[in-house]
Amino acid sequence: MGFVSGSASFIRFGVEGELPSNTLEFIADRIASFSFRDIDDNMDEYSIGWVSVMNMFDAGFRYASFMNGDYVTVTLRIDERKVSPAILNKFVQKEEERIKAEKQIPKIGRTLKAEIKERVQTELIRKAIPIPSVFDLCWNLSESTVLFFSTNKKIHAVLEDFFKDCFGLLLVQQIPYVTAEHLLNDEQAEQLGIVNPEIFV
Amino acid sequence: MMNKPNNLVLLILKYLSENERGLVGMDLVDLMVEKRFLGQEFLTWLWWKSEERGGSVEIPGFGDITVVFEKHMLLEYGEGEYSEKLVCTGLQTELKEARTGLLMGKKLEQARIQIVKDTYEWNFTLGAALFEFRNVRLPKTAATEQGGGNSDEETEGMILERVFLFEELVRIINDLFRLFLKVRITSDWSAELQTIRGWVHASGEQS
Repeated sequence: MGFVSGSASFIRFGVEGELPSNTLEFIADRIASFSFRDIDDNMDEYSIGWVSVMNMFDAGFRYASFMNGDYVTVTLRIDERKVSPAILNKFVQKEEERIKAEKQIPKIGRTLKAEIKERVQTELIRKAIPIPSVFDLCWNLSESTVLFFSTNKKIHAVLEDFFKDCFGLLLVQQIPYVTAEHLLNDEQAEQLGIVNPEIFV
Repeated sequence: MMNKPNNLVLLILKYLSENERGLVGMDLVDLMVEKRFLGQEFLTWLWWKSEERGGSVEIPGFGDITVVFEKHMLLEYGEGEYSEKLVCTGLQTELKEARTGLLMGKKLEQARIQIVKDTYEWNFTLGAALFEFRNVRLPKTAATEQGGGNSDEETEGMILERVFLFEELVRIINDLFRLFLKVRITSDWSAELQTIRGWVHASGEQS
């Protein structure tokens, strides 16, 4: 559930920085450069990029444009190969047992243990199927604001960095205090700065 | 292809990008903590405001809209590891626990709200401290109900309609927030605060 259907959760960002005069051309070029690259058929552990809001397999925006009126609507797709700690533990122990039997030793040293863990982890990650996650984004170009359809703070940090890499622009989360600064004039905003928490009883 | 950023790198990047923003003397992370009360005071004020005239709130320059607090609330008291949270939910309650919570000095952190403006009705949960809009149900319109259709024009029409409705909800909340701020930063606040305190005591003691 997200931006195009059903119920949705979102937060707002302000976009800070200047776009070049050939705005639409620049955005199209940056989205193409930072579009999602599939990792199903290689060994990469992580991939992040833009896809269509209508179809997460459409990274070329063949079926729906990312420009809708004055809005850029895209989906941030992140694919990641993960191994659960329980599975990793199981295969590390299994490998340790195999080596102990093979070498006929009662215990495995710390260095070798670390080596085994790293090797098993790499093997398991290669075998793991990338798990996809998608987060919709709607950028209002005339007001320089973004609605981002996730309330997960870790993903907000990932988006802020990716957006900066892609467009060279900063996203500033519109928390109440920042929103208030936009709603008030300078004098009022100064007054707000000295307001202290109040007790309502 | 980009490599997966680890948590430390993410933290450093977040720290750097927040510092580059140079928010006058205070960065966003500090503001989130130090001004956390502002959104919670607004939501608590809005609960009072919505009950003051039986669910109607006047937006200057527009007129009355309906603001109803539904049967799900999260109240908070204190900060960090000393904070206390209280969840109130249930269809048949009159939010008695929540009203008693207010009397104990707790403030509203999250509430399920219904807003009706003209013929449009939104249902959503507002997270007050960071202005998070959760589980937003948009007004039912032909475009939002039927999905995108097959043609590019229909898809664009559906997207633009949904964008308009999400942004309209934000505009309404901003209008209400402006209403609160205009009182909160002026000398009118002390009189309004007395009225709110009267409401907290009256509704808390009834429950």
